[in-house]
Amino acid sequence: MKKTLTTLAIFGLVVLFAQTASNLTEFKENIATQKAEAKDELKPYRFDGSKVTYFNFKTYKQTKEVEIYLFNNTDYRFSFNGKSLPNDITIQIYDKDKTQANRVLLTEFNGIQGKNKVIESSALNEAYKSKKSNATRLKRVFVDYVIPATPGAENKKPTMKERGAIILVMGYKN
Amino acid sequence: MKLSKLAIGIVALGIGAFLTSCGGEEPSDINTVEVDTTAEDELDADLFESPDEDYHLPSPLQVASIFKKSGLEYNSDATSDVSNASNHTEELKQMLNFGVYSADMAYCVLNEQANEGRKFLTAITDLAGEIGMEAVFENEDLMRRFDANLEDKDSIEILMIEIHERTEEYMEENDMQHTSAIHFAGAWTEGMYLGVYDFENNQNKDGVGAQLTEQMAILGNIIKGLKDPRNSGTELEWVISDLEHIQTTFDGFDSVNAFYEDESAEELTLQDNEFEELGSLIKDLRAKITEG
Repeated sequence: MKKTLTTLAIFGLVVLFAQTASNLTEFKENIATQKAEAKDELKPYRFDGSKVTYFNFKTYKQTKEVEIYLFNNTDYRFSFNGKSLPNDITIQIYDKDKTQANRVLLTEFNGIQGKNKVIESSALNEAYKSKKSNATRLKRVFVDYVIPATPGAENKKPTMKERGAIILVMGYKN
Repeated sequence: MKLSKLAIGIVALGIGAFLTSCGGEEPSDINTVEVDTTAEDELDADLFESPDEDYHLPSPLQVASIFKKSGLEYNSDATSDVSNASNHTEELKQMLNFGVYSADMAYCVLNEQANEGRKFLTAITDLAGEIGMEAVFENEDLMRRFDANLEDKDSIEILMIEIHERTEEYMEENDMQHTSAIHFAGAWTEGMYLGVYDFENNQNKDGVGAQLTEQMAILGNIIKGLKDPRNSGTELEWVISDLEHIQTTFDGFDSVNAFYEDESAEELTLQDNEFEELGSLIKDLRAKITEG
């Protein structure tokens, strides 16, 4: 009896681990496809790189931040893909990082889950100039992903339905 | 790729345990059955929880493009010597010079010097083989396409973007992103060197000078990337030390302090003596990186 139970327990764990690994592999493969979709939205801007931000929805609110440089005489396009989001998040773009109390919110949007959205640096620069006197141009921006609290989430051992990723692909005008 | 290997590993581990239990002794107590979940924990930690603060560094092609738009002229003597590529036998030097040659290739291609650029592509391919990234360049089609488009600047630039994208994907799939800061440190140093070279030899230098100071903004994140604990096996201390010295010297310039105190200031222009000091530090570091 003990041997049978042991065998069943091990078999169950093997199946569980194999399923977990398989789900994660699929998750990763989907991201590669979605990155290609986001890249297509950059055209005719030149691809410069991508940043995939992974997170797990937890019982508390989280913010993940990505810093991006904007150089002189260059226009940028940022393509966000939210097709690996199990729930929606909010995207906020600021002129300074999250430790700065006086930072300016340049744009904010949600409804990115399952969608692709493009933002251009020219729009961010216009918002910057309109919101801040004496402002000239943005030299960098900080993209904040605000991940809402999810009641009942498994904080330490997240399930697949709590895993999320937001893809950001960046391009510049040649 | 890593995930697939891990999946196979987990299944193999499980099957191994299963077979052992079938043919071996009966466990004395069912409660003692334990399965090591360390691998799964590491997988979660490594791949599916990004840091709370992250950054994107510009590609060598974008940096070269910005410098060119700022008025940087092509100087054939300024690039690094490709014949030194095979002399770099330490892994750190190989990774740094992978970045140096990437910046040189971008510089050549954007200045319509594709034949020169091809030499750097060969050097990069050779170094990639030494640092475990041969898969990025193993497609011979890359070189054939480069050769077929030597006269077509746009096609060569698209090919360079493709190489950059392949490198980025390869590093992500193989959990090597932390080493990209080392490549980037080499590329940044070379980009700055090419700018300094032009600044010292080009009369119309204001645009390049402004661009050099603008590129200094990236340095903090390069240093942060180099300090990633996963890079601790690489003897990076001298690179970090030199880059930190460049950063603190720059931060101490009067012009820099005045610029950051004036929120309406658009461009930072260094005094001649400040440029001289910054240029000297850049040249010293570049020499240490590129010497064979």
